Amino acid sequence: MKLVDGINITELFMRSGTPNRAGVVVPWVAKMSFPKYKPSRLATLPQTLDPAEYDISLESRRAQVERLAIRARLKREYLLQYNDPNRRGLVVNPALVRWAYARANIYPNCRATPKNSLLGAVVGFGPLILWYYILKTDRILTVAWRDTVPHQLFGEPSF
Amino acid sequence: MLKIILPTIMMLPTMWLSKTHMMWINTMTCSLLISIFTLMMLYLPNNSCNLSLNFFSDPLTSPLLMLTAWLLPLMILATQQHLYNNSAPRKKLYISMLVFLQISLIMTFSATELILFYILFETTLIPTLIIITRWGYQPERLNAGSYFLFYTLAGSLPLLITLLHYFSSLGSLNILTMTINTKEMMLSWTNNIMWLGCMMAFMVKMPLYGLHLWLPKAHVEAPIAGSMVLAAILLKLGSYGMMRVTPMLNPLTEKMSYPFIVLSLWGMVMTSSICLRQADLKSLIAYSSVSHMALVILAILIQTPWSLTGAMILMIAHGLTSSLLFCLANSNYERVHSRTMMFTRGLQALFPLLALWWLLANLTNLALPPTINLMGELLTILASFSWSNFTIMFTGFNMLITALYSLHMFTSTQRGPLTYSTSNVKPLFTRENTLMLMHMAPILLLTLNPKTIMCLTP
Repeated sequence: MKLVDGINITELFMRSGTPNRAGVVVPWVAKMSFPKYKPSRLATLPQTLDPAEYDISLESRRAQVERLAIRARLKREYLLQYNDPNRRGLVVNPALVRWAYARANIYPNCRATPKNSLLGAVVGFGPLILWYYILKTDRILTVAWRDTVPHQLFGEPSF
Repeated sequence: MLKIILPTIMMLPTMWLSKTHMMWINTMTCSLLISIFTLMMLYLPNNSCNLSLNFFSDPLTSPLLMLTAWLLPLMILATQQHLYNNSAPRKKLYISMLVFLQISLIMTFSATELILFYILFETTLIPTLIIITRWGYQPERLNAGSYFLFYTLAGSLPLLITLLHYFSSLGSLNILTMTINTKEMMLSWTNNIMWLGCMMAFMVKMPLYGLHLWLPKAHVEAPIAGSMVLAAILLKLGSYGMMRVTPMLNPLTEKMSYPFIVLSLWGMVMTSSICLRQADLKSLIAYSSVSHMALVILAILIQTPWSLTGAMILMIAHGLTSSLLFCLANSNYERVHSRTMMFTRGLQALFPLLALWWLLANLTNLALPPTINLMGELLTILASFSWSNFTIMFTGFNMLITALYSLHMFTSTQRGPLTYSTSNVKPLFTRENTLMLMHMAPILLLTLNPKTIMCLTP
């Protein structure tokens, strides 16, 4: 139905709202005021906010199943150890121990490789050489300025 | 000068012959009386005392001598706790090492002749090595002792050769006559190597940034008296030596000092930044010592009156502050037997007086006005800015990072929630409070009268 030339009432209604999460256009008063969620590297898009929530591809489904199998196996091993009546000590996660050892023992396991040594030389000596040249240039300028400008200190005679 | 040296030597028989229960009291009293004698060097006519051929006193040596003499009672106060389980002869042996070190240090700072200075400079290594390797806490102390000994020896052997060459060419290495010698060091390959030979020993001792590897090891592994004397006095031996040797090296110093100025500027910034990432409290204080000493090296190499004054004030201020920080770290260590900073958090709620000492120590470490630390840094930074405007980038950045890590040290030991494992630590003993006060009182008093240590007429 056309009220005025060139305006469609349905279109007016469609433009008078905003689509919500489900895609339905609701009036502006019903707009939920969340900011738009932008996923970042450490905060990935959760499955519930993903528009393709139920259209998962077969590949990603297989990957999810595999990860779930690993998690279930680890949980089973943990629960076996946790509920063991003859256990006296802590339940140790060897992966955590290895991770902590690796983080604390980087230096003894380092080896001098060409790339390593080059990086060390550049970071160790590079700044020194750079500052030497900058400082020397500045010093030459300072000495030149000092020797050209006549200095008079508290009534010292200037010859 | 003999009035200081002879009583220090006689402290050895006093201590060995005293009864076990009077041993600490006798040594404390003797060392305090000796430190009163050094105060007599402050108000001498002509500012110097030249009554002997071998020893003299000077506005450059008198503050350092006062610091050395003041530090021995402090070291004796600090070691009473950790030597508790040792047998009496072993305690006496430890104090003998300290007294032997004290004798060599007093003679070093008052020696007239550079060869005598060199011999005593090397002599100070031996008791320090024994203290570190015998009475340190971890197995790493052997490594630390070797690094300390061999770095300093390797640096100082060229110094011996250079000094002997100078002796044969100049005729005398008396410090007083060196100021009026007319032989200038001109630019030549031989003179370059002579300059390096003279300075490298002191650069290693100070330490300069590239040669500082021995310092964190030695400071961390040494027991408290070892750490105190290393931080407060032995580093200043290097700067004192540099200030004595540079009159003979002009005008070569202007050309040859550039690499070392660059190293000390960059090293200041680097070692301060490393302090921000340290988990070990003593290691943090050791690296902060390197950073402060880099400023002193910069000041001495620039060779202007203001910067030499700044170097002198910085030496005394840093000696007292660093020693105080090591004493505080040691009071932590004696209670929880761990040097990790995070282990004893939130101590301000438990021990308010200790928090006061920590606050004062960290405030002086970050060169809060109007303490003498700031006066020294200010004079040095002004002189280096006038030398070349670009140095302000490094020195300003260093002041910022120094403030950052000092406050980090304070907040991680004093503020925050308490750790559950510190429930049964005892508060500070009177002895420890006296120790902290005896460190802090000179700093506060010198803040009121810094011209005492300003070395205005060397």
